[in-house]
Amino acid sequence: MKNSAELYKQICEYLGCDLNSEPCKQIQDHLAECPNCEVYVNKVKKTVNLYKTIDNCDDIPEDVCKKLFISLNIDDVSKPGKEPAM
Amino acid sequence: MLNYSALETKPQTTEEELVARAQKGDRQAMSRLVIDYRSRIYHLGLRLTGNEQDAEDMLQEAFLIMVKKIHQFKGNSSFYTWLYRIAVNIGLRKLESKPRKYQHVSIDDPDIEYISSVETAEWPTFDYSRVSQKHFRKKLNQLIEKLPDIYRTVFILRDLHELSTEDTGKILQITPSNTKIRLMRARNFLKEELEKLVDKEALI
Repeated sequence: MKNSAELYKQICEYLGCDLNSEPCKQIQDHLAECPNCEVYVNKVKKTVNLYKTIDNCDDIPEDVCKKLFISLNIDDVSKPGKEPAM
Repeated sequence: MLNYSALETKPQTTEEELVARAQKGDRQAMSRLVIDYRSRIYHLGLRLTGNEQDAEDMLQEAFLIMVKKIHQFKGNSSFYTWLYRIAVNIGLRKLESKPRKYQHVSIDDPDIEYISSVETAEWPTFDYSRVSQKHFRKKLNQLIEKLPDIYRTVFILRDLHELSTEDTGKILQITPSNTKIRLMRARNFLKEELEKLVDKEALI
């Protein structure tokens, strides 16, 4: 493995960054010639994507929302009739 | 379940304007801020604490503090960074007060030299119809819960809530460099654990 200490540092840096960003040229070159490292990086990407897929942050139970607004003592303006005219 | 993804603030009203109005006691603006962030804070709580009741408690406590202290928000960071920090601190305090479900696991750096010398097989595309089954989701959730808090929080904020390295560092009060190291180790751990699950459960 060429420049293993430096490459190790760069791959670890890449694994701590945005995986959709372009890895630096040296990592790209290494991944192109080292199928095992490429497989590894792809598996890390698939792992992250799998968790993103099962984690839908848009949903919240209706009763939880209702209790939240009651505890805050404010109206939920997303409900019809709750938004005063501007 | 309600889906609030389409319920954003009115396009002509920026978040800065909403915060400014809320700071002056405008309850409609306060309500809009709650609507914009309630789902994200609830899911942050679910991932941090691992259970619905604690997530709900965290949600309520975080927004109660927001309503009470929004006048103290100076705008030195973005509003969501400020709110996330409040929520994360509440979640972490809840975790500290309870016995852990899982023992701390050892978190290692990836062994790049080993990886580059050992032949590994690529995973085909996951069968999402199986992955979405309750049984598998539970197992995937358990893997996240095994991560020590300092790694799990970074993974949740960076990869699931898609916050930047800088904002994640500000929320957790760690350097960007530490944020990257923790994220790298968390991703490596989850990948290694998923590898075992894939072999054991024929997930693909």
